[in-house]
Amino acid sequence: MSSHVKGVFNHLDSLITAIDRLRKADFDDYTVLSPLPRHEIEEAIYDNEPSPVRWWTLTGALVGGTGGFTLASLTSAVWPMALPAGKPMISIPPFVVITFESTVLIAGLATLAAIIYHCRLPAMDLPIECEDPRYSSDRFGLVFHDLEGARKEEAIKLLHDSGAEEVSCADDEDDATELVHEEA
Amino acid sequence: MQNENAVTYGLVNKEVIEPLFKPSLAWAAIFAVDLLILAFGVYCWSYQLEWGMGVAGYTPPVFWGVYITTFVFWVGIGHAGTLISAILYLFRARFRTGVYRAAEAMTIFAVLSAGLFPNIHVGRLWYVYFLFPYPNQRLLWPNFKSPLVWDVFAISTYLTISSVFFFVGLIPDIAAVRDSNRNPIIKKVYNMLCFGWRGTDTQWRHYMAAYGFFAALCTPLVVSVHSAVSWDFAMAQTAGWHSTIFPPYFVAGAIFSGCAMVITLLVPITKIFKWENYLNILHFEAMAKLCLLTGFILTYSYIIEHFIGWYSDNPYEWGIFVDRATGQYDWIFFMMVACNCVIPLVWWFKKVRTNLWGLWLVSIVINIGMWFERYNIIASSLAHQFDPGAWVLYVPSWVEIGIMVGSFAWFFMWFLLFVKLMPAIAIAEIKEMIKPPLSTDTEEAA
Repeated sequence: MSSHVKGVFNHLDSLITAIDRLRKADFDDYTVLSPLPRHEIEEAIYDNEPSPVRWWTLTGALVGGTGGFTLASLTSAVWPMALPAGKPMISIPPFVVITFESTVLIAGLATLAAIIYHCRLPAMDLPIECEDPRYSSDRFGLVFHDLEGARKEEAIKLLHDSGAEEVSCADDEDDATELVHEEA
Repeated sequence: MQNENAVTYGLVNKEVIEPLFKPSLAWAAIFAVDLLILAFGVYCWSYQLEWGMGVAGYTPPVFWGVYITTFVFWVGIGHAGTLISAILYLFRARFRTGVYRAAEAMTIFAVLSAGLFPNIHVGRLWYVYFLFPYPNQRLLWPNFKSPLVWDVFAISTYLTISSVFFFVGLIPDIAAVRDSNRNPIIKKVYNMLCFGWRGTDTQWRHYMAAYGFFAALCTPLVVSVHSAVSWDFAMAQTAGWHSTIFPPYFVAGAIFSGCAMVITLLVPITKIFKWENYLNILHFEAMAKLCLLTGFILTYSYIIEHFIGWYSDNPYEWGIFVDRATGQYDWIFFMMVACNCVIPLVWWFKKVRTNLWGLWLVSIVINIGMWFERYNIIASSLAHQFDPGAWVLYVPSWVEIGIMVGSFAWFFMWFLLFVKLMPAIAIAEIKEMIKPPLSTDTEEAA
């Protein structure tokens, strides 16, 4: 039967130690929870690999800029000035404003879409073991998902050795959490 | 932040979230008075809708009066929020953390207030969609070379992106409010508002990347939006408006008034909510210094536009500047100079700019002065155009004044609701300023 194992940390450095150890031990199905963004956590898990959000922003900016300039140009072509007096139909300086605004608008909306997609929002289907009000206050969390047998024992020991103040595990089917260890 | 070592993550949650939801008697009384003033504003607007634009004090050829003045005023107020949250974020200015959430909220509510005025100004509200320059079959000419169309794009983009930036910043803090509350209905509502945010490693990773991009996108927007507003005037041939100095002059003025409004709003809130741990005199002093800097740019702009009016040797241009200072609107010119150039100089004295009363009172004076500045630019130029036969005296009617006052009530209504329903201090970012809890500290203490 698979189980999840959950560790609650009071100290950031203990959590980082736990992440380093679990990566060395080849655990791959885990979630780290934190009340604030800490670059140490990101570096420990992702090795400074940049987020793909930047591609969304760039694509949005290119689409927005092109779209804004095209909208202004085509509209001017369809509704031309009655007396152009030698002035160009498609005039760059005034259209720069429209191009700039639409670049920022669509890039911003694309970035919002990127957050929603990559952060998996709305995150209503996160495993129940990731829910703990302390994670938005003053504690860090490390949750191992779907562990069995010896790997489960290994995870419990890893959390314990890294300095977790509370370690618990539960079967995924009945979800009854059994407190394995709590630091005084 | 004061006593950085004494403040813990848990204490931040407690002190910021505790004042939420429980309205004090003072809050309820202020809110009730605010709603009464708003009701009067709504009455004035409905009166104008029923009887037409004749009830406004428009005197041909002055058709831009209090409504456009107040529109520009609110757009200016809306400037500082994004300046503080985006530009100061990119520059990693530490004083930003305590003030930026309230400043961002102020931006949204100020732009919401500004957004009312094109609707009010056009008179026939039901034709307001004519403002949008989309291709159409109604023989309207969507002219993308017009600064008024640029303004539609600039304000709409600014409102949209500022709102997104504000809301994205709120998500982790709404989750903190959800987790600290025991009421199941509030929990459910806040869970929906934060999209079930849990603060997982994946969420923070992409969130922080996106937040940086939002800041980078918002930074040029701060400069662009009030530049576009200034072109509403500067692109026209009207004397007193047709000037290349207008974009930087308007942007500096907007930051000046916006920072002053942040001080006006945050001084009482800090006292009422006892947030001295997060918002102290150093934050306010930094804001006051920003006002001093932008106030100097503004004063320089006033001097230069008068100098160029004289140096241009254009009788219409010079005539309008002489008329502003000595004509029928001289008291408005005097208010503008006194409130924006002279009185804020008291902030050069450290004693005044580190005194909450000194900060608060001068910030209100600046806000008054900045409203008069816009009135001085708009009304006086239109009332004193090229043909002396068309020179008039425009005096706002009670309907215009009522709607303008109502817009302040509208702004404060949103702000009062905001401070009771959402954390007005950024919880997660304040925690970033605190030294994280380390096991080595505990061992040393033991």
